[in-house]
Amino acid sequence: MTSMVTSAPESGSQRRRARTWLFNPFHYLAGVRALALGVVCILTTGLVGAWGRSHFDGVLDFHVGASAPVWIFLAEGIIAWLTLSVLLAATGKLVSRTHVRSVDVFGTQALARAPMLLTAIAALLPGYGRFASALMLMQAKLTSWGIPKPHFDVADAAAFGIVILVTLTMLVWMVALMYRAYAVSCNVKGGRAVISFIVALVLAEAASKTTLYVIFRAFVPTA
Amino acid sequence: MKSNKMMPYVCPSCRTGLKVVRLTCSACGTAVEGGFDLPVLARLDAEDQSFLLSFLKSSGSLKELARQHGVSYPTVRNRLDALIGKVAALETGTVHERREL
Repeated sequence: MTSMVTSAPESGSQRRRARTWLFNPFHYLAGVRALALGVVCILTTGLVGAWGRSHFDGVLDFHVGASAPVWIFLAEGIIAWLTLSVLLAATGKLVSRTHVRSVDVFGTQALARAPMLLTAIAALLPGYGRFASALMLMQAKLTSWGIPKPHFDVADAAAFGIVILVTLTMLVWMVALMYRAYAVSCNVKGGRAVISFIVALVLAEAASKTTLYVIFRAFVPTA
Repeated sequence: MKSNKMMPYVCPSCRTGLKVVRLTCSACGTAVEGGFDLPVLARLDAEDQSFLLSFLKSSGSLKELARQHGVSYPTVRNRLDALIGKVAALETGTVHERREL
């Protein structure tokens, strides 16, 4: 029974409820439960990423890259989540007129990264890795000598196209979820919410990249 | 038997808040006439009043209220914040009373 709390599920229709779960799950889920579920998603994404060499090295980043120790894949997700959460919690406390609980900001932001798990799974398609490697080889050939011409396969190209489509969709979904998470957990709306979110997102992207660079320089000799 | 009729609190024509003009004692039939303002809580719509009653019955615990309605804590808190804003506006008369459809 949710009728008296907000207007979202008032119609009682299953479709509306499903839409709310897809685009604003924070209507139903926040705090410690969202935090636990979100962290599990982030760590699972890191493990799947380690398997498929998918790096989520930044708040909005996804690349297929070099093999690395598993902890690097896990650290990438955790750092991306923490930098945005810290900045949004600070921003929320500045712009919101209500009491902001940090556990809601961190929990909902962790859960908002769940679409990246689907991206990591999609990137396991074998053809995607081969095509991405061929593209990287072709790019390298432009600047260096002695590299054999890469082989492009149609099936691999199709897999690559599918993964790119999934990645873009998941990225848009994740950003939408991040915004809804911020709006719900900090009770901010309108232009003030959009502008403060964009500023925090841009700063978090820069901060996460810098943090990852510093950490990898310190702990990975070849970085 | 309890009546299902809802007391109107805004004018159906111009949406201005209504006043109580006549009160009657159901026991002896004595009537009092005048121009009495409705209390702020009576000017809230049925949904808001229902939310306030739930809040009261859960001893003012937002966590309990969220659990009862199967929604998150911030959802309930944001709903309460919106209601506080509405009550404050009604008290200061800065809002044009109207039922949200």
